[in-house]
Amino acid sequence: MNTPTSTINGTAAREAIESRFARRIASRLTERVETAPPEIGERLRFAREKALVTARAARTNVELQGTGAQGSAVLGFSRSPWWPRLASVLPLAALVGGLVLIEDWQTRSQISVAAEVDAALLGDDLPINAYRDAGFAEYLKSQSGE
Amino acid sequence: MATDKELSDFLKSVEKRAWKRAVYAVRDEDAALDIVQDAMIRLAEKYADRPAAELPLLFQRIASNATMDWFRRQKVKNQVVRNFSDFEPAGGDGEFDILETLEALGSSLEHESAADSVSRAQILQMIDGEVAQLPARQREAFLLRYWEELDVAETAASMGCSEGSVKTHCSRAVHALAKALRAKGIGS
Repeated sequence: MNTPTSTINGTAAREAIESRFARRIASRLTERVETAPPEIGERLRFAREKALVTARAARTNVELQGTGAQGSAVLGFSRSPWWPRLASVLPLAALVGGLVLIEDWQTRSQISVAAEVDAALLGDDLPINAYRDAGFAEYLKSQSGE
Repeated sequence: MATDKELSDFLKSVEKRAWKRAVYAVRDEDAALDIVQDAMIRLAEKYADRPAAELPLLFQRIASNATMDWFRRQKVKNQVVRNFSDFEPAGGDGEFDILETLEALGSSLEHESAADSVSRAQILQMIDGEVAQLPARQREAFLLRYWEELDVAETAASMGCSEGSVKTHCSRAVHALAKALRAKGIGS
């Protein structure tokens, strides 16, 4: 009759035997794969070199990103994500602000001109209604013609 | 971060085994080369900044994914599902004497001068053929565990299954190989 201890020992022994067998098979597979045709080895070497070039490019990208972040830190900018967005929004905000100022300046300028005309008309000796009189208009024309 | 030399040495150490594993899976040497190249590029592109110690497990997972991608591209998904499912022989080997086969196999490979009509190269070819005939999951577990020398947990992570499944797959693979090799006169 098998006791629990003997079962455990049996299982462990079996696993050890399986493991030894498996490793021996694996070493034969290694031996076998080493006899692969030379063109396979060449194509694998080519693939490996291509991968190394890719790895160098990937590392360079990572380093450039790191350098960019350090440069921003030196200039006093944090690496927070809102900064690039703010930088792109600022010119647009300046343009809109400029347009509002121009509009305001034009409005004030028109009001100022109108006020000057009104002041000149009101300050003149001649009443305003005189300009609506057809006879007086003819008189002015004749005066300017002479 | 792995240096160029570390990455190169690592790839050099695994490339032939990775190719052979892909050959076992897709049964096409050229396609297997494409898969290994794809896996190498993916590793270099995405994980070049990882320490060298992490590369083996990452590469095994990437290679497995690259093989699956190849099958997807070939639009033989149904066949893959069939190949990768666990079709195990009914019954099992029971008390099959693996130790006897193991010892005999070792002897026949290590003492070539023995009166053995089968040459070493033929034996290696037989072993290769028997490994190729294992069910895909058993073969993958066996190769990752004993050829790539991952531990049980790493093999399980790489295959996306439990550690218990890895042990079962490995055990069944070992028994199937021992039985097949004995049937061919190796170790008898």
